[in-house]
Amino acid sequence: MQIDMKHTVTILDTDEQYVCDDEESLLHAMVRIGRKGIPSGCHGGGCGVCKIHVTDGSCRTIVMSREHISEEEERQGIVLACRAFPTSDVGLKVLGKMRKTVCKERKYGLV
Amino acid sequence: MGVMRLGHINLRVLDMDAALKHYENVMGMAQTDKDEDGNVYLKCWDEWDKYSVILSQSDTAGMNNIAYKVERDSDLDDLKKRVEDYGISVTDMAAGEMRSCGRGIKFNLPSGHEMRLYAEKEALGKDVGTTNPEPWPDDVKGIKAHWLDHALLMCELDPEKGVNKVAENTAFMRDALDFYLGEQVLVGPDGDIQAATWMFRTSTPHDIAFVGGPKMGLHHCAFFLDEWNDVLKAADIMAKNDVKVDVTPQRHGITRGYTIYFFDPSGNRNETFAGLGYLAQPDMPPVTWTEDQLWRGIFYHTGEEAGAFTTVYT
Repeated sequence: MQIDMKHTVTILDTDEQYVCDDEESLLHAMVRIGRKGIPSGCHGGGCGVCKIHVTDGSCRTIVMSREHISEEEERQGIVLACRAFPTSDVGLKVLGKMRKTVCKERKYGLV
Repeated sequence: MGVMRLGHINLRVLDMDAALKHYENVMGMAQTDKDEDGNVYLKCWDEWDKYSVILSQSDTAGMNNIAYKVERDSDLDDLKKRVEDYGISVTDMAAGEMRSCGRGIKFNLPSGHEMRLYAEKEALGKDVGTTNPEPWPDDVKGIKAHWLDHALLMCELDPEKGVNKVAENTAFMRDALDFYLGEQVLVGPDGDIQAATWMFRTSTPHDIAFVGGPKMGLHHCAFFLDEWNDVLKAADIMAKNDVKVDVTPQRHGITRGYTIYFFDPSGNRNETFAGLGYLAQPDMPPVTWTEDQLWRGIFYHTGEEAGAFTTVYT
């Protein structure tokens, strides 16, 4: 029987921590326990809002849109949190932004 | 005469196996064809033409093109001329270039999205047949979507730079393709900036919608369900299958539809759209939503933005 390995994830921007096992994406583990910090979008690697930089530790990744993560970025550990599964304890910085997160003024309703 | 309805949409997917699992097992579509390039063609049980969704393996998500079916072959010549007279160049497509379809034309909307028109597509028939049919088939999986209903395209909107592709698309669809305006959102200090529109050719509130955003893209494509209880059951099926739901069952003020927004495994947003909404007719006075009631229009119960509705799209 395979036992899932549990890893500690640290969002370095805020020093918040949560636990994620190696079969769950960094984003899914965060939203499942009601935590915030990494913007949550499509959870399919397509929209790009959950872009992070894994600066400490390592992750296994699955396919991500090249519109949002270039090959060079991927080599540097810049990934989408919905496509990244920790293989060790992880420290990350949030790069993706939801336009609404900082109460951005919308002069024209939608933009 | 002219455009009848939405015919098909070509979506880019990052993982074909995951996409097929979603569109077959969750949406309840059936694979009807696969071409030499690996594109997969699917139809819903209540559709008669061979396919309404084409999935193409890619390294990005989003929409490649959207195609509408016209009533007569001669409509293609008439509409080609009208699109060209409008100032948009048109490319002819030979029979078969769109798989299992007759000849067609393609052009880009002012927003940049590629639109195609065709008059003929191979028909396979509804799953329930045409003679003394049962109201629904037994052997369909998942939410049993009836048909591809409409798509919402995000169009560049930056009023301060004088860019409004929503308004440009809306004028083009009205003047060149005889689409009717069902509803619109007007924003800005003078309430005169068209920030979103819903347009129809069938008798339902929208066959296409345009919403303003920072860049062009696909906001969602929607699949029809009969009624509210089907929407609840569809949401149950999504939860069972760990589908990422963006907005749980709700009513729209705009179009009055019953909705769920969710994402396919590549992040393309899907919707289930249920209910008639209302009978849309060419002489129906268009409905206007003002900026202060914009979110009441989109999510009627809460009147607030929900999920990642305007911030996330492919």
